[in-house]
Amino acid sequence: MNDVVVAEDLRKTYGDVCALDGVSLSVAPGEVFGLIGPNGAGKTTLVRALTGTTPVEGTVRLLGGAPTAVDRDRIGLLPQSFAPASRLTPRELLTHYGGLYDEATDPASVLEAVGLADAADTWYEKLSGGQRRRACVGVALVNDPDVLFLDEPTTGIDPAGRRRLWDLIDGLAAGGTTVVLTSHSMAEIERLADRVALLADGRLLALDRPGALIETHAGESRVVVATAGTPEGSEAGDGRPPTGDGNAAAGDRTLPEGLAAAAADAGFDVEATPEGFVFEDVAAEEIGSVVDVLVDRGIEYDSLAWRQPGLEDVYLELTGDSFGMHRAGPSVEPTDPEEGELR
Amino acid sequence: MSRRRRLASEFTAAWKAFLRRRTAVFFTFFFPAIIVVIFGALVGTRPTGGGLFAQPPGYYVPGYLAVVVLFTPLSRVGSEVARHREGRRFEKLATTPLRRWEWLLAQTLVNVVVIGLTALLLLGLTAAITPATIPLDPAALLLVPFVVAGVALFCGVGAVLGGLADSQDGVIAASNALAFPLLFLSEAFLTPDMLPAWLRPAMAASPVSLFARGVRALTFDPAAAGPLGVPGALAALAAVAAVGLVAGAVSIPRTD
Repeated sequence: MNDVVVAEDLRKTYGDVCALDGVSLSVAPGEVFGLIGPNGAGKTTLVRALTGTTPVEGTVRLLGGAPTAVDRDRIGLLPQSFAPASRLTPRELLTHYGGLYDEATDPASVLEAVGLADAADTWYEKLSGGQRRRACVGVALVNDPDVLFLDEPTTGIDPAGRRRLWDLIDGLAAGGTTVVLTSHSMAEIERLADRVALLADGRLLALDRPGALIETHAGESRVVVATAGTPEGSEAGDGRPPTGDGNAAAGDRTLPEGLAAAAADAGFDVEATPEGFVFEDVAAEEIGSVVDVLVDRGIEYDSLAWRQPGLEDVYLELTGDSFGMHRAGPSVEPTDPEEGELR
Repeated sequence: MSRRRRLASEFTAAWKAFLRRRTAVFFTFFFPAIIVVIFGALVGTRPTGGGLFAQPPGYYVPGYLAVVVLFTPLSRVGSEVARHREGRRFEKLATTPLRRWEWLLAQTLVNVVVIGLTALLLLGLTAAITPATIPLDPAALLLVPFVVAGVALFCGVGAVLGGLADSQDGVIAASNALAFPLLFLSEAFLTPDMLPAWLRPAMAASPVSLFARGVRALTFDPAAAGPLGVPGALAALAAVAAVGLVAGAVSIPRTD
């Protein structure tokens, strides 16, 4: 089946700033395609290039044609920082934007879908930040598009509202809508995207399924042991200088004497990080063994958390944007009880 | 049908958005009232004394109308373009079937209604509180196309300013800087002999002069239309308005 979105060797500069540097990708029908990357990575420019709202070098094909020539009834866009008329209500905004298409979805059903039925007749300027963003998402959906571009759709939306939108996007994709989504929430991308492209400095650093990216770039699951204060000891974690790009806290923390050896005997590597002692490559059923090592060495701890690597680890690994915290715990919200924090 | 639906939708949204900005509504209608009260009633005219207001009161009716036809669409459309840019609305609209010229046409229609009502208020006030008389005959209906053409022209110019300026403040400053010379270097308030000879060709070619001559011929002195006559002045103004609208539509940005 033909790809819905095809981009080949896209390049774009703003003065001396290179916003896109040879980006190529394709998006299949019904796919949810995630774009992640640091601020200024080129995500929004890429969305603009794919929707034909900014000229770029290279080739873009949207629904088989040039994006500026495509049937506009078939595409939906939520621009980043979109702000519609402030003194129209969500119902009026949906009626307005729906009126620009030959056929549009009933505003009431869109309002229900985005969770704004109760605020349908409140002026946009009087809505909360999250409600505003949901109204904007509704505007992007009102023509029931075949391809939907959402540039940071859940910014400012509370967790419940965010999950509602995730379910909505899931439903759209299940119904055949192709979705291109940018976000700074790794949880959101990991939850929604079939494939993910990681951009930095206008370049495509990685593109694959979230699971494959995590497997390739994020390492194994681990146990993080947080103790009160900085443990005393002379033994360095793994013989290397403390990691952390100069972070002072990382340099202060060292492993208690004998812990590295005891962990090695149990089959684990352990290192000291600013957030605690990190036991690498620990399967869920091996957590007890880690506890045994700690008990054997008489180490008291405040908390012990088992964490699976996530997309955030991939992001930090590939962008080098680690905030001085090597392997900081991912912000992925646990969806499985086994991923929860153990205390 | 689709185009009519899009225009109706854009018009309705723009109209509601305008009506709900109460300060804007108040001053849109208050502004011409100030003009008429100050220049028509308080200052008065001295037909035999020379100076700025040396003509009979009816001579200045085109000037009052020109004020609202010139200033209001320039600043309103320019500001609307700036608001759309700041809210990334053009980026959104670029992915809808609405064309840029359709957007500008819808905004122009809103301005025609707003300024049409303002012009009625202004003419009513002029008749009520100044010595000028406003003819109530079928020929006066020709004022309507003059107002429509004038509004369309300055909506287009306002869109150009909105496309060039980087903020709403910039648009307001630019529209004032453009409107004042256009108004006072035209035949809206002045007679040609009041300006230096080298400036008179520009004064004669000014679209505001075309507007003023036509309106003056309809409300004050039929001979005021000059060699073009009323139809000629209207046709010339309409042609300039068409150019202005095209320039405005082209200058509306798709993104930032």
